[in-house]
Amino acid sequence: MPSLRLNSGLAVLVVMACLLAASPALAHKVYVYAWVEGDRIHVDGYFSRSRKVQGGLVEVFGPDGAKLLEGKTDDQGAFSFKIPQKADLKIVLTASMGHKNDYTIRADELPAGSAASSPARVQARPTAKAGAESAAASAETPAAPVAPEIDEARLRALLDQALDRKLEPLMRAVAQANEPHGPGLTEILGGLGYIVGIMGIVLYLRSRGKQ
Amino acid sequence: MHISEGVLSTPVLLVGAAVAVAGTAVGLKKLDYDRLPQVAVLTSAFFVASLVHVPIGPSSVHLILNGLMGLLLGWAAFPAILVGLILQAVLFQFGGLTVLGANTTAMALPAVICHYALGKAARSDMRALSVSASFLAGAGAILLGGLLMAAALVFTGESFWPVARLVLVAHLPVMVIEGVFVAVCIQFLKQVRPELLEIVYAKPSS
Repeated sequence: MPSLRLNSGLAVLVVMACLLAASPALAHKVYVYAWVEGDRIHVDGYFSRSRKVQGGLVEVFGPDGAKLLEGKTDDQGAFSFKIPQKADLKIVLTASMGHKNDYTIRADELPAGSAASSPARVQARPTAKAGAESAAASAETPAAPVAPEIDEARLRALLDQALDRKLEPLMRAVAQANEPHGPGLTEILGGLGYIVGIMGIVLYLRSRGKQ
Repeated sequence: MHISEGVLSTPVLLVGAAVAVAGTAVGLKKLDYDRLPQVAVLTSAFFVASLVHVPIGPSSVHLILNGLMGLLLGWAAFPAILVGLILQAVLFQFGGLTVLGANTTAMALPAVICHYALGKAARSDMRALSVSASFLAGAGAILLGGLLMAAALVFTGESFWPVARLVLVAHLPVMVIEGVFVAVCIQFLKQVRPELLEIVYAKPSS
């Protein structure tokens, strides 16, 4: 049977295939990921961890399909924009040569009153200092008069600012962990298994047909 | 070399699908089913080759191996590439199911052309001829594939020459790499397993 001799030759090809697969599994596909930071949305476009999409077209669509804004990614594959409205935002990245992908940021990921947050933040700065001083003062002299009153809106802005600062590294880490990435060993071996399986099924059906 | 979903217009998709179906039918009809393992192994090689990434050029490119498929499989490259692309689309999310036909045609048609244009020369006993023919097959299949891809993209509103130039520049390194790879492969097979170089067509029933 010629196929027996064939098999060892085929084994060589399999080894070659495995050698090919052994080099870093980087994908030929464009990925886009976006996350919210303060009142801005950051978009990251990349082919792989080390290959960013440079000058890719980023378009942002609202829930009704209307285009809200567009822009191009910089050398780092990044693009950021101010949140245009609190709604589901579909971010479409078109890279060169027919590569395209999209990512949707849901409305509930966006901060409440995003448009209003930045002026509040500016106002909050002096208050923050004053608050810290008065807190220190009150700690040193317990008998001192009560800390100057801070109205609720300012307190809220203060807390927002502090939380933003504390949470930023965490948000970044979560964003990075959530970023989609290329296929892993499971997908590769799964695909090879499918090919062998398809071959098996075809051969089985053929051999039944011959009988 | 995978075109993503939602980029091409419907007529282009339909033409691509029609060519892919026809090519696959021819491939399956001509196939010698005793040689199916060989086709499957080359399909596997094609399937994983897309993960070998060449980090040069303005975009990301990877090995395609359609030249090698063409030389070794002839028309059977169509069904082989189709299966490889389906699995890449489902498992890797490369390309997509609606662009399957267009992508198959862009990669398998050059393979078949290489088979007819260079198949004989690559099997020649003259070493220099064989090496250069297999190099040309490896590099040329990618060039043709890139041009087909550019042609498909033209109908989406991009003008041909800028796209074609971009595709060409992006695939230049991979063309060289594949040319060398195919040349080495063919020489290796000639010495170790010459019977693998026989085309996998069924012999006319005798």
